[in-house]
Amino acid sequence: MTNHWNDLQNTDCALIMGGNPAENHPISFRWLTKAKERGAKLISVDPRFTRTSAKADLYGQLRSGTDIAFLGGMIKYALDNELYHKEYVAHYTNASFILKEDYDFNDGLFSGYDEATRSYDKTKWAFETNEDGTPKEDKTLKHPRSVFQLMKKHYDRYDVDTVISVTGTNKEDYVKICEAFCSTGQVGKSGTIMYAMGTTQHTVGTQNVRAFGIIQLLLGNIGLPGGGINAMRGESNVQGSTDFGLLFGDLPGYVGAPKAIPEHATLAGYNEKETPPSGYWSNKPKFMVSMLKAWYGPNARKKNDFCYEYLPKGNKNYSHINLFNAMYKGEIEGAFLFGTNPVVGGPNAGKEKEALGNLKWLVAADLWETESSAFWQKEAGSDPSTIDTEVFFLPAASSYEKEGSVSNSSRWMQYRWKAIDPKGESLADLEIIHMLMKNIKELYKNEKTAIAKPVNALYWNYGKGHHPDIDLVCKEINGYDLKTKKLLPGFAALMDDGSTSCGNWIYSGFYPEEGKNRAKNRDNKDTGGGNYLNWAFAWPANRRILYNRASADLNGKPWSKEKAVIWWDASQKLWVGNDVPDFVPAKSPKDPGGDNPFIMTKDGVAGIFAGNLNDGPLPEHYEPFESPVTNAFSSQEINPAVQIIEGEFNLKGNSKEFPIVATTYRVSEHWQSGSMTRNQEWLSELVGHMYIEISEELAKEKGIKNKDKVIVSSARGEIEAYAMVTKRFKPYTIQGQKVHHIGMPWHFGFKGFATGDTANRLTPHVGDANSTIPEYKAFLCNVRRAD
Amino acid sequence: MATEYVKYVDVTKCDGCRACMVACKNWNDLPAEPQDFLGTMQSHANVSADTWNVLTFVEHENSEGKLDYLFRHSSCYHCTDAACEKVCPENAISYTDFGTVVIDQDTCVGCGYCVQNCPFDVISLKTYKDKNGDEYRKAHKCTMCTDRLEEGLQPACVTTCHTEAMEFGEKEAMIKKAEKRVQEIKDRYPNANVYNPKGVGGTHTIYVLTEKPSVYGMPENPKVPTSAVLWKDYAQPIGKAMVGGVAMALAGAFVANKFFDKKNNQENRDGGGSHE
Amino acid sequence: MSNQLGTQIKVKRFSKGFVVAHAVNGISFFALYLTALPMYTEWFDWLYVLFGGPENARFLHRVFAVTFILPTIIMLIFDPKGFFNWMKELVTWKKRDLQFFTEFVKDLFGLKFKHVKQSFLNAGEKINSVLQIVCAILLIGSGFTMWFPDAFPKALVQWGYFLHNVGFGLAFAVALGHIYLSVIHKNSRPGFKGVITGEVPAWWAKDHYTEWYEEEVEKGNFPDVDIEKEMKKPTGA
Repeated sequence: MTNHWNDLQNTDCALIMGGNPAENHPISFRWLTKAKERGAKLISVDPRFTRTSAKADLYGQLRSGTDIAFLGGMIKYALDNELYHKEYVAHYTNASFILKEDYDFNDGLFSGYDEATRSYDKTKWAFETNEDGTPKEDKTLKHPRSVFQLMKKHYDRYDVDTVISVTGTNKEDYVKICEAFCSTGQVGKSGTIMYAMGTTQHTVGTQNVRAFGIIQLLLGNIGLPGGGINAMRGESNVQGSTDFGLLFGDLPGYVGAPKAIPEHATLAGYNEKETPPSGYWSNKPKFMVSMLKAWYGPNARKKNDFCYEYLPKGNKNYSHINLFNAMYKGEIEGAFLFGTNPVVGGPNAGKEKEALGNLKWLVAADLWETESSAFWQKEAGSDPSTIDTEVFFLPAASSYEKEGSVSNSSRWMQYRWKAIDPKGESLADLEIIHMLMKNIKELYKNEKTAIAKPVNALYWNYGKGHHPDIDLVCKEINGYDLKTKKLLPGFAALMDDGSTSCGNWIYSGFYPEEGKNRAKNRDNKDTGGGNYLNWAFAWPANRRILYNRASADLNGKPWSKEKAVIWWDASQKLWVGNDVPDFVPAKSPKDPGGDNPFIMTKDGVAGIFAGNLNDGPLPEHYEPFESPVTNAFSSQEINPAVQIIEGEFNLKGNSKEFPIVATTYRVSEHWQSGSMTRNQEWLSELVGHMYIEISEELAKEKGIKNKDKVIVSSARGEIEAYAMVTKRFKPYTIQGQKVHHIGMPWHFGFKGFATGDTANRLTPHVGDANSTIPEYKAFLCNVRRAD
Repeated sequence: MATEYVKYVDVTKCDGCRACMVACKNWNDLPAEPQDFLGTMQSHANVSADTWNVLTFVEHENSEGKLDYLFRHSSCYHCTDAACEKVCPENAISYTDFGTVVIDQDTCVGCGYCVQNCPFDVISLKTYKDKNGDEYRKAHKCTMCTDRLEEGLQPACVTTCHTEAMEFGEKEAMIKKAEKRVQEIKDRYPNANVYNPKGVGGTHTIYVLTEKPSVYGMPENPKVPTSAVLWKDYAQPIGKAMVGGVAMALAGAFVANKFFDKKNNQENRDGGGSHE
Repeated sequence: MSNQLGTQIKVKRFSKGFVVAHAVNGISFFALYLTALPMYTEWFDWLYVLFGGPENARFLHRVFAVTFILPTIIMLIFDPKGFFNWMKELVTWKKRDLQFFTEFVKDLFGLKFKHVKQSFLNAGEKINSVLQIVCAILLIGSGFTMWFPDAFPKALVQWGYFLHNVGFGLAFAVALGHIYLSVIHKNSRPGFKGVITGEVPAWWAKDHYTEWYEEEVEKGNFPDVDIEKEMKKPTGA
């Protein structure tokens, strides 16, 4: 989230799209309800009328996988009706930048496309530059090669009628939604966009979010209270896990992981290639070296590149889909599953179950035996006699049985204390990893092999005994001044000469001095604007609203009194306000760069045009991997930059055999693959059965009555479920043809109190062009009665 | 009487998360009751002896053809004039100072009169087995967490409600709040109303509804059943009086007989004169 | 007085079927009352202890509820004629039936009274029968709704409680009278014996149920007796 949960109360309009917070992030409704009491409007855009839609003022029905069409139309609406915040767009975004002649867009393809590799040459999307390397600009936004004009041209094709013929939205609803949300472009108003996996789990997932970004920049909603782009994370600590490098392309703090390319062979090479000349990322070498010092301790020295050579480097895509594809092909020997359950939660889950059978060993650490750790059992549909995988089950402690922190969607690192001792032999994950690493180090300590070197170099010093000293872990994350041995006050103090250490630069400052772990802060007094600065610690630097410099105009004065966050106090010569400034505190608006609020970017402005993504600098609508119709916008059916795995690992269905669009989702009562909630009786009784939601019209066509058992099939498999015939799904009219849409929860499996077939046996093994997140949310299926 | 309290439920703020259901089971130590698939998101058709509150889900197309998806926390209404209290033959059901209606489990004999006479269908019997394996029954319903109220806490469902769709407060203040809220939402929900039915003397769970009560599956005009009033206010006292009266008359007859017997002991037969 | 020889002549007043039915009815009636009393008024809660708890009391109540329904069936099987005669009696109302009551009150309180000629049942007994039948129908009917509430509309079940209660009070009052008159009230006591043995003294029958007795005499079933003489004989019981 650029903003945070509590800040939702400040919004004037919330566009909730690709998310269903009433069900999956209920606490958000505490704040949205407050906003509504102030007169805010809620908009819900979803394939199905959800509990969120029920609470919304406006509902727009949207066929799964057509978000960019919907949002592209909204961009056009804002531009055509001049509802955008002109000054903000001209000064705080790259709309004024001039693109080189190389940039082009034609029939669904941007310039630089190579069909053989399904990839783009991104250098074709560069800006014209001045001699000093800064981009050429036209603040009037009138230059025909300006981002603004090219964007306008790009979205000119997204007229309302074309859009709704693709999305299936009712025209009147669509226009009302555009009108309502674009009204937040006025000064004094702000609008927030809230999204979740309904946005990201598509072959165009990243571009869906990009489209949000463009709209919010056009409306001047970034950096404002009640504004922003707010990803509602699906797990209590998924924010923390991505912050700490769990995404395959990142090291902690979103420092890109080095690859097996010549430039990355040395630290200097890496720094040279990956460090931008300006913007805050120009400090990247300090983050990297301090991290290496935290990892390798005294072994990391300037003369050995701070052990940079020990960082793993590869050129493959190490995403979930590709890992399981490799496993399916027998290329992976063993796997650890820490609180993950791919046999229920993975795409094309039937194949993922088969893939696990190709492992020599599998270690599963979980609270219960999950469908994945039991993949070899008869009840999983497996034949145990044919599976050689050795499975180790490590009982893990639940969150109440251990101490530590979680980072929520608001980027708040909140410390939690242990309530009860772990049951039986279960251990905290941290303890499991600690013991594992100590044992591995013990095994390698006398070896000098290439494999042993990084293990031996690793500085593992978290106290004696089985349980690591978690306070030492916290301090390591915060970082030390290695000369004084004192904790660092924040990431501004980081150095690239090995004199500081820091496990994760974005969290630096959360533990600035002995005895002051700010993640433990629990002062629930509002410090102004609903930011609660003394509750927990928000990265970076306890900042609650990112890019908050953009809430003030060029001169440092808030655009409006209602939406003030920080402002320039000329008497103090400081930025002051309700939040920690996302700016150099003493940099005056008149200083060079003093009116460039987006300090993380190279040019200090936000990117309406983003030349660094794999699938294009502007979001463009493509149909999902499986779609009932052809693309109305171009002859490119699917995102041309998506990598497609061919063969039996990822069978593709056609719309003749599988004419119905399907999507998956969660319910309030169950969590993820259900391994925690389906083992909980009180939650299992609330949603005890696998079901599909189906419109009255489709049910009639198929002779299905409410509560009937039905079979849902896709190219990948079949599942049984109950039919929930509902008014909340309606057939779509897409390009003049009737298209049916169903939806289903993906929580079920064969373990626990509430059991049922696994929806993900139907979903495809195809991912987004940038993140490779699987396209769970739009696929084709068919439905028939079970008897 | 101490201050009366009311649980205020504003359905417009309820997002249907059902935390109230889980919080209730947690505090009151109630077991799960797995149900067959009901064809809706609603988990239980109605409240029961082990499920004291149920979130109801109603798909409703309003007069303009717009779909509404209505959520409502439903549990005991804690009537001011409670039929259950009236009909309980053992006086096991009573009013507390808070205005809540509670069942004394020790006194309850499991007759089920309350179950059948509740105008809201919120009381159920649960069958238990004693140490000999013999079955016995007790009536159960929401207690409004009276045990929590006694400790100065609020009902578990209210405490857990994150949207403040539920509040627990002084009766008059809550009624005022409900009336004000209805005015606020009239534009969007022309049928909005406060549900605090007079037929049972008002309730201690009051609702802000967006549609007529019947749309939510609630009785429009619930009242203490006439049969229960006739039974408990007339038939029973008259019956007792009648039994007493007859007994007195017979006792009188007995005494009179003894008396006249002595007087007429020379008389023959049974004192009856000959036929004419 | 004692110089009269021989014992009193007995005549058959009740069939075996009726005797049994009446006994089953009576016992069930009492048992039902006892098992229900603690529910009617808390003064009798101690009875729960006697029955082994409310559940047992309820169980017994239901057992006796079944036996309470049996008499009608017994009568219909073993003495259908008597049953229909009885029914006929109940719907036959003449002037004498009304006259009966003024005399009955005197009788009840031990005053001098005249016998008004009565048929098989006197008007008081007819009232008793009618009331008991009405009560039984009320109690049995409403009992069904109470026992099987799920099988009936809720309103019916609710009214059932009311009717059961009304039936309880009414039947109790009627039964008290009935029992008093038969067991305690000296003038009708032979009837109490009669309902157990089936036979009553001829003089008493003639005196109390003249019309019936005379009909039976006409049919040749009973001997014509002199009431005054007969009653002075030893009862011979």
